Amino acid sequence: MDRAMVTVDNVTRSFNLPKGGTYVALKDINLNIAEGEFISLIGHSGCGKSTLLNLMAGLDQANTGGILMDSRQVTDPGPDRMVVFQNYSLLPWQSVRQNIALAVNNVMRESSQAERHERVEQSIALVGLGHAADKLPAELSGGMKQRVAIARALAIRPRLLLLDEPFGALDALTRGNLQQQLMQICQQAGVTTVMVTHSVDEALLLSDRVVCLTNGPAAGIGQILKVSLPRPRERLEVMEHPDYYRLRGELINFLQQQRRLKQNRQPLSTSLPSPSVRQPASDAVAMAQRTVRIGYLPGLDIAPMAVALDRGFFSDRNIQLIPVVFHRWQQMEEQLRAGDLQLAITSASTPLALTLGLHSQPSWPAITPMTVTRSGNAICLAQRFRDLHVHTLPDLAALLNARDERLRLAVGQKGSMQDLLLRHWLASGGINPDQAVDFQVLSPLAIQSALRNGEIDGFIAGRYRVAKAMETGLGYVLATDLDIWSGHPEKVLTCHQGWAANNELLLLDVCSALIRGGQFCENGGNHDNLVGLLSRPQWLGIDAALALQRQFNLGNAQNTSNLLPLNRYHSDRAHVANSAEGAWILTQFSRWGWNPFPRNRLELLGQVYRNDFCSAALEQEGLAALSPDRYPIELACGGPFDQDEPLSYLEALPFNHNTAIAVTPLPSGAVRRATTTTETPAS
Amino acid sequence: MTSLSATSRSKRRPAASWLRSPLANQIKAPVVCIGLTLVLWQFLAQFNSEGFPGPIQVISQTWDPYIINPFFDDGGTSKGLGLQLLISLQRVAVGYSLAAVIGIAAGLAIGLNRFLRRGFDPLIQVLRTVPPLAWLPISLLLFQQADSAAIFVIFITAVWPIVINTAVGINEIPQDYTNVARVLRLRKRSYLGDILMPATAPYVFTGLRIAIGLAWLAIVAAEMLKADGGIGFFIWDAYNAGGDTSTSQIILAIVVIGLVGLALDRLVGAVGTLVAKGGK
Repeated sequence: MDRAMVTVDNVTRSFNLPKGGTYVALKDINLNIAEGEFISLIGHSGCGKSTLLNLMAGLDQANTGGILMDSRQVTDPGPDRMVVFQNYSLLPWQSVRQNIALAVNNVMRESSQAERHERVEQSIALVGLGHAADKLPAELSGGMKQRVAIARALAIRPRLLLLDEPFGALDALTRGNLQQQLMQICQQAGVTTVMVTHSVDEALLLSDRVVCLTNGPAAGIGQILKVSLPRPRERLEVMEHPDYYRLRGELINFLQQQRRLKQNRQPLSTSLPSPSVRQPASDAVAMAQRTVRIGYLPGLDIAPMAVALDRGFFSDRNIQLIPVVFHRWQQMEEQLRAGDLQLAITSASTPLALTLGLHSQPSWPAITPMTVTRSGNAICLAQRFRDLHVHTLPDLAALLNARDERLRLAVGQKGSMQDLLLRHWLASGGINPDQAVDFQVLSPLAIQSALRNGEIDGFIAGRYRVAKAMETGLGYVLATDLDIWSGHPEKVLTCHQGWAANNELLLLDVCSALIRGGQFCENGGNHDNLVGLLSRPQWLGIDAALALQRQFNLGNAQNTSNLLPLNRYHSDRAHVANSAEGAWILTQFSRWGWNPFPRNRLELLGQVYRNDFCSAALEQEGLAALSPDRYPIELACGGPFDQDEPLSYLEALPFNHNTAIAVTPLPSGAVRRATTTTETPAS
Repeated sequence: MTSLSATSRSKRRPAASWLRSPLANQIKAPVVCIGLTLVLWQFLAQFNSEGFPGPIQVISQTWDPYIINPFFDDGGTSKGLGLQLLISLQRVAVGYSLAAVIGIAAGLAIGLNRFLRRGFDPLIQVLRTVPPLAWLPISLLLFQQADSAAIFVIFITAVWPIVINTAVGINEIPQDYTNVARVLRLRKRSYLGDILMPATAPYVFTGLRIAIGLAWLAIVAAEMLKADGGIGFFIWDAYNAGGDTSTSQIILAIVVIGLVGLALDRLVGAVGTLVAKGGK
């Protein structure tokens, strides 16, 4: 794509409501439009399409962020960004010619009378209205009025043409003809165009890219669809193109999923009372309701929770958090399903795995409101492989090729983020994990002894365990997540969707406390504190102190920790529950044949990834609630992952299983609310 | 059977056809109703001991010179109805023109400027409800002269609806047109001429039409109190003279005032339609 002519940079637009409070129409919109491109904005009514168009026109101003055109900020309307309004906006007291001349005379002030006259006549001829040039708009049909509006807009040669549902009020026949004309005119004039539309077919026929907006309030860009149909396009030819129905299906699918989401999900912002209204829970009943049992497995990942508990971030918010330690992921999941735990710090892939019911488990509607940590993993092999000169992934591939024996690698949980990263890394080196590797599911606590006893050849785990294996001389690091995906989500907060719906404020406060904890952990100056805290018996234990101390690289240059990436607890949007990352996880589930790729992935991701909690919690803490950008995710091995093109990514992956695509039924207990728990026998 | 009905229809046709013509259709009801009213009035006048005239007496008593010779001038204040009307119309013309010019200008200013609109709105709302005659003493104090005072009363009565309607018209310019102007970056003059004026014209003419009614109302009242000519003076003069025919003269004058007021209203309305048609 060429350099962007128009850049919509992180635009948020909210309106003050007459009754007080604000309505956020658009939130964090990012979009680049290249010169000559034709973009359609599509989405359900009230999703802020027209608002975005008005912002580009300069008729309205964003609250935060801004719009750049030719590298200059758009601050007011101007004729270089001509708008064709929804209801044409022709002046009823002026004839067709006068209407166009008004625009031309105003914009081409420098030109001679003859030049201006010629431009007017030329524009009238362009839309074929020579015979009606002296008529008043009231004497014209809807289609003719629309043509006048387009002629007026094109007559002044705008750089950017903005069309607000240009064919909305026309009958089907007129609409078809005008679409064709508009397409030809835009193509001849080479004008960059942004069109708001409701019609899927119209969008596909005219656009280079279709930008799908999610439901308001706080609408964002849900998907960007590239329409690579050849130009010049003819309506009938386009419909016969093999790609057409796939693209059409994607768009309709998106709109249907948005409709279902609208029905199923109450937006958080409207259901939350503002902080000033909330009463501090003082009595015992309220206190009991704010008691939360949270499951975890020991590791560096739980540092934010440990800090938040220790420093009273939970009790400040009237939450009694009861941490429950587990040694196997499976056990914790069982307790979570049973409702003994309300929350858990799980692997980043667990919310999706639970919701999909991966590995023949019953499906369970999980959500994740925030990411707790990112990165911090390493792949460790037993010392004897170093003696075999295995230092890189190709070395390992060569070794495995040369011998028949399968490599025995330990993972904490099948389908966990660590498992997915390990498999992805192996596959990128030409090793088929399903054939060349025996995966063993081991408790992270048992890995050390398994390695010592020679029961496994290596493992993937957090830096703390890897460092321990290195220090005892049992293993060495072959790769870290810098070699796979730097900044991947590692541990996330997980809970039941129904519980979250009934305890929105409580969950929000838990997120706030964890964010504060993460902020503390990220600060290098707090590492001493952190070591002291984590070496307490309920977290990592006293013997962890030494290893931790070294890992934080406190004045010991010759230790191994500079090999290992640090966990990310807070910086660079670490807390975001990013559905794009969820989309990558889904491709991996499908790749290894565990689950067909969900055709309704956006609906699934929209249900599971509840970044609205994270944003609200960040805002509650007075921190910038940045939402994830839409750039493709850069993985260190394998190609970049574009969330809008998961299928082509999946097809290009090595060793992928039969990539079936199917509509995944979403767990229906999802929107259970406290008030609607009575069962109806009929269902 | 068929032939019979055909003949009966054709027989009735001549009588029915003029009664059903569009003009007759319009006139029919008013003629009947007004006629009945006049008959009732005449009937009731028979029983009045004070000698209050019925319509027939009114016409017979004022036939000469008031009806057949409206432009007689016996010198002094003894003039025909036509001349009296001209004097009144002259005053109205001056006062109303002033009101129109100043009212539209003030309305433009108030409509375009939010500060002025908010600042002056309470004042306008109070002053517009003041009855015309309440202004007369102040007006006389200010101008010391009956003629100027009457003109001022007309002006001050007629100006408010013009101001208010013009300002409302500017406020009601559809957002679409303003958006077009903003996108095209229309110059001030072009904005005024191409968008603001045509869009507000219907509102302005509504204001002007209300104003002419009020102006006519005010002139009669003002002239009755303090003037040496005009239709209002004529009524007061007839009343003071107290002759046999004075009641009839008053009634005749009232009819004339009503008809002229109606004509003025229709005239302004017609001009408004004409201007709006040229625009819209």
